[in-house]
Formats: sequence, structure tokens, C-alpha cells
Amino acid sequence: MNNTTHFFLLVKISIIAFIIGAISLPSFLELASPFWLLSFFIYWLIYSNGKSVFTSAFILGILLDVLQGGILGQNALALVLSSAFILNVKKSFFISNITTQQVYVFISTLIYLITFLLIHSLVHGFNIKWLILLSPITSAILWPLIRLLLAKLKE
Amino acid sequence: MRLLKFFVPVFLSIILIVLDTRFSYLDNFKRFTLTLLSPIYVIVDLPSQVIDWVNDKGADNDTLISENDYLKGQLVELKVRLQGYNNLALENQKMSKLLDSSYKIPNHDAKLAHVKSISQSRLSKKIIIGKGSNDGVALSQLVVGSEGAVGQIIQITPMYSTVRLLTDPTQHMPVKNSRNGIRGITKGIASSENGMIIEFVPLDSDVKVGDIFLTSGIGNLYPSGYLVGRVTSIDDTINASFLSISLQPTQNMNKLELVLIVKEKNE
Repeated sequence: MNNTTHFFLLVKISIIAFIIGAISLPSFLELASPFWLLSFFIYWLIYSNGKSVFTSAFILGILLDVLQGGILGQNALALVLSSAFILNVKKSFFISNITTQQVYVFISTLIYLITFLLIHSLVHGFNIKWLILLSPITSAILWPLIRLLLAKLKE
Repeated sequence: MRLLKFFVPVFLSIILIVLDTRFSYLDNFKRFTLTLLSPIYVIVDLPSQVIDWVNDKGADNDTLISENDYLKGQLVELKVRLQGYNNLALENQKMSKLLDSSYKIPNHDAKLAHVKSISQSRLSKKIIIGKGSNDGVALSQLVVGSEGAVGQIIQITPMYSTVRLLTDPTQHMPVKNSRNGIRGITKGIASSENGMIIEFVPLDSDVKVGDIFLTSGIGNLYPSGYLVGRVTSIDDTINASFLSISLQPTQNMNKLELVLIVKEKNE
């Protein structure tokens, strides 16, 4: 895979993540659903040797902030911090079995969620819906499926 | 070098967060980027457009005739009600003249828009409607449903607009009691799907359970007189200075299909 291929894979999976994230779901499902962009970005980070990881995470986070009408920089910061964790465990992640990978996904989503909620609380006050705390669990549960689908896409 | 690559995006993100929450320098950037990204909304909305199209094409003649008859009946009923309203408006104008008052009944422009099945941030209560700057929609305009106020336009692209619902905790709207004109400001509740509170109503104010609150039009940001909600409970023990009033929106926010974007006509 050359750099252009890595780049196009990132563009493809980002567009899919944006589309899935914008699909309207019942309120409780929407709250508990995974952070799609993070899950997809983790896949790209692990299974593709793309360069400029933090810059890519920052740009994608900004695009997501604009698309979701949220605070500019909120998803960007959360995605950069979560990427830093995944990058640190990249080698271990790559060779681990699916359960260990799910644990890594859970931790990175937890970092994402804490950053996301911290910024939200600082700006808008502590008014959150508790179901959102389920998103690291759903991210971890759905990780095998995401990995399978994105592997098909990568082929 | 790797640390630098990590810390630059982190600092940039923090700077953007501060700039976005404190100032409005980034609004044009956000509008431009959202316009570039709006094809994503088109893709997400495509299945429901196709379903609507198939339903429209597949509707048989009898169904269309009966629907047409029903709508004709509704139109007659609304026209009769409007006659009563017009009489009241004329009476009001006469009274205003007699009292030498400068008050005029506001005249509103309205645009019909479909609610799209597109979702935004999971911690906020927003909807996306299928009218944008190409249709003359502007920021801060009031959006109403058939049963009352829905929210305010906060973001626009050429084809779509984002409406922040009244039930969102960051949405505030000046309201008045339809019975005695007592004013307050509504605010949504994060924990409740369909709940609001009214802030800044003094303790000794005459507010009763069942009272209806309307948009007050204070600040000339929103047109006045649209239904907002009904008082469900009043608590005067929590806050020493103000009443704690719970409000149930008259408009069910979960059953929105069509909405009107209203603005006052410029005389």
C-alpha cells in the first residue's frame, strides 16, 4: 500500500463514518451508539500504515464538529487524544486476539467520551444524558463487526 | 518530533474550542465547511426521499380522492376559524385607534419545510429541515409546528437548516403568560425528552398550573404570540428569588413532519 492508497482508504472510511453518524435513530439508540468516526479511525490506524496520524485525526474531528453543529474542536481534541492511546498500543493491538482488541477499543472510546463530556460540561454546564456512558461498551461490542466490514472495504 | 506532532493538534483544538465558544470569528468557516459537507446530508436523506417518492407514485386513486376530500374539509374549517380571527383583529385595531395606541398586530411570513431524518450531535436536541439559504431562510428565525413553537434556526446551508429545539438545554426563549402577560425565559432540560422550565419569574407572580405561555417577541428576535407550552408544576421552595416553573411544550417534538419558518413582515 502506498501513501495515496492509505489516504483514499481514510477518505472512504471517513465518509462512511460521517454518513452512519448522521442517520437518525431513536433517541436511546443514538445516545448509546458507538462513536463511529473513532471506531473507523482506529481501524485505519491499525491496519494501514498511514502517516500524519494526529493531523488526520484533527482534520476529521473538525469536519465532524462542523457536520454535527457542535463546539468546534471538541471531536478533534477527543479524536487526537484517543489516537495517541491507540498509537501507543498499536503493535500489541495488531497481534492481539479480538477480545483484547475490544478492551483497547473500550479504553480509547472511554478517553474520547471523557474528553467529549468534559468539554461539553465546561461550555454548556453538566447536563448530560446518562445513556451516552454506554457508548464505550457498544463500541467494544461492535468492534468485530466494524473490523470485518472495513476489511471487506479495504480489499 | 513525535511529541510536537501530537501537541500541535491538541493546542489547535483547544484554541478552536475557546474561539468558537467565546467569539464568532469562525462562523463563516463553519458555514462554508458545512456547505461543502452537505452532500452527506443528501445521501443520508436519500432513502426517505425514495420511500416518499414510491409512496406518492404507489398511492391509488381512491386514497388520493379521500385524502383530498379530508383536506378540503380541513381547509373550510380553518377558513371559518380565520374569519373569527379576522373579526377580532379588526376589533383590536379599532380599539387601538380609540386608545391612540401605536400597537399593530404583527404580520408574519411563513415558509413550509419538511423535517429530515438526519441526526446531529447526540447531546443536543436538534432537527434538520429541508429549506436553506436558497429558500431565503436566515439565522435566528423561529420555527413552529401545527401545535406550537418548535425552536430556532442556528445553522444554514444552501439546502438545509439546523433547528435547535426549545427542549435543548442551551436554547432560551422569551415567553409571556397568555392569561396575564407575566414574562420569563424558557430553557430545555437535558434529562427530559420533552420538558422545559421557565426562569426569572418572581416569587409573588400569578402563575397557575395549566397556564399557557406564548412567545413574547421581546428583543424583536422572534415573532410574538406563538404557543410554547403549558405549565405542569410550580415550585416556590427551590429558589429564593424566582419561581421554578415546569413547562410541557404544546408541540410534540417527536412527531414533527412539517414545520413553518416564520418571520415578521417588514412594513
